[in-house]
Amino acid sequence: MTIEERVNEANRQVLEILTKGRPRWVDVRPALEVIPGMTPETILMPGPSIETERITPPLRTSICGAAIHEGLAKTKEEAWKLVEEGKIMVASSQNYSCGNAACMVTSASMPVIVVEDSVYGGKGFAPIHPGPNPKCLRWGLYDEEVEADLSWFRSDYGPALSQAVRASGGVDLITILSKTAGMGDENHNRQPAASMCLALQLIPYLLEIDHPQKNKIIKDFAANDRFFLHVMMAGVESLTAKCKGIELSTVMVGMGGNGEEFGVQMAGTANRWYTTKAPKIKGTFLKPSYKESDLVGYLGDSCVTEVYGLGGMSAIAGPAYMRLTGSNYAEARSRTEKARAVSLGEHTFAPVPWEDMAGFPVGVDARKVVGYQILPISHGGSALRSGGQGGAGAAELPMECFKEALRGIYAQAKSCDSQG
Amino acid sequence: MNSNNVGCEKILNLFRSELVTVNVGPKILATALEKQGYKAIQVDWKPAAGGDKEMQEILDLLGGLD
Repeated sequence: MTIEERVNEANRQVLEILTKGRPRWVDVRPALEVIPGMTPETILMPGPSIETERITPPLRTSICGAAIHEGLAKTKEEAWKLVEEGKIMVASSQNYSCGNAACMVTSASMPVIVVEDSVYGGKGFAPIHPGPNPKCLRWGLYDEEVEADLSWFRSDYGPALSQAVRASGGVDLITILSKTAGMGDENHNRQPAASMCLALQLIPYLLEIDHPQKNKIIKDFAANDRFFLHVMMAGVESLTAKCKGIELSTVMVGMGGNGEEFGVQMAGTANRWYTTKAPKIKGTFLKPSYKESDLVGYLGDSCVTEVYGLGGMSAIAGPAYMRLTGSNYAEARSRTEKARAVSLGEHTFAPVPWEDMAGFPVGVDARKVVGYQILPISHGGSALRSGGQGGAGAAELPMECFKEALRGIYAQAKSCDSQG
Repeated sequence: MNSNNVGCEKILNLFRSELVTVNVGPKILATALEKQGYKAIQVDWKPAAGGDKEMQEILDLLGGLD
C-alpha cells in the first residue's frame, strides 16, 4: 500500500467510529472513580497544556477554586503555590477523554457525566453543566457561593442524577439528536431542544428518587436549556477515545483552547497537540461596555462537539444562533458548506429539513483544510480576563494548527516508510 | 487537397469562429479580454496549500486532495 492509501484506510477507520459509534449516557460518578489516570492531586483543564506562568487569570481562578474544593489548599494563593511547585498536577483534560467547557476544570471529587459508546467501547467524561447562574467555576469565578454550588453538586445533585440515569437504563445520544433534528439546535452553543428532550426522558426517573430536596434537583436539571452540551461533550470523548492512535489518520479528533493557545489533535498522533496562538471569539458582547481587549483567547473544550460535526460545522441546523455571532442565514449555510468541503463523512441521523434533508458533515481532514485553504469555523462563548462570560460568537480555526498537524503525520509516515 | 491543407483549414475555421478563452490563473487576464469584447471563462483554481511548497511536498506524500 502507498502512504496515501494507508492514510485513507486509517481515516476510513476513524470515520467508521465517528459515524457508527453509539454514545450512551450511563452514569454520573466522581472523577477519581472513573477517569483513567486521575489522582487526588490532578486538576484537568481545557485545551492544550501550557506553562504555569502562561495560564490566564480566569483559568487560574478555576484551578485554585478546584484545589480549595478538594481540600488541597485553604486559599487561592496557597493553591497556586502548590501548582507552581508541581504538587498539584494540571493536565489537559482531552488527554483524559474528558471535556471541560469554557474555564471549567475537573478535580477528583467532582461528579462527571459518564458516556459509553456501546459499539466500540470508548468512555468519555465531562463535568455537569452548572446551570444558568453566570457566577460559576465554569466561567472562572470562585467564592463561597460558587463553593456552595460545587458542594451541592458533589453531595446531592451528582448522586441524584446518577440514580436517575442508572434507573433509566441510560440515555442514547443519537436518539436525542435524531428526535430534535429540525428544532433549531446547532448543539454547541444552542441546544434547548436536545436539553428538553433529555429532560423528557429523565424526569420520570428523577421523580422516583429518594431525596429530601428532590424538587430542587428536578428544577436544577429541567430549568437548564444548556444541560445537553456537557453530555454531548462526554459523548464525543467516548468516540474519540477509540480513534486516537489509529496511525497515520489525518482526521481531527480533538480541539480546544486554554485562553493563550488553541490546539487540535489528529487521530494518527493521539494526544499530541498542535498549537498556535488562540484566536478570539468574535460576535456579540453580553454587555455593551465590554471590548475585545477584555477577552482572553479561545478558551474551553466545548468545541469537541465540532469534532463530531456540531456547532459551526452544522451552523445551518441552528441558524437562529447566527445573530449572536453577528451574522446571518447565508453565512450559516456557508459555514456548513465550508465544513463539508473539508470533511470526510456525513451524519445522516439528524437531517436538516430546510437543507433538503441533508445531514451534517463530520471528520475534518487536515489534508483538505491545508490543501484547499478552507478553515472550518467554530462557535463558542468567550471569557473575560477578569472572569465571567464576555460574549458569544465564532472563530475560524487557525491554519497553523493544521499545518503543524500535517508535519506531525508526515513525520509519522516517513518513519513508517523507513521501517518498511 | 493534401492533409496539410486540411489541417490549416481547421485552424483557420477555429480563428474565424467566436473566440472563448479559458483562463487558469490570475483573473486579471480574463478581465482584460472581456474588456476587449472577448468571452473568457475563469477557472476557479488555486494552487494546493496556497502555493506553500513545504505543504505541497507533504500533501504529495499524504494525498487526500481530489
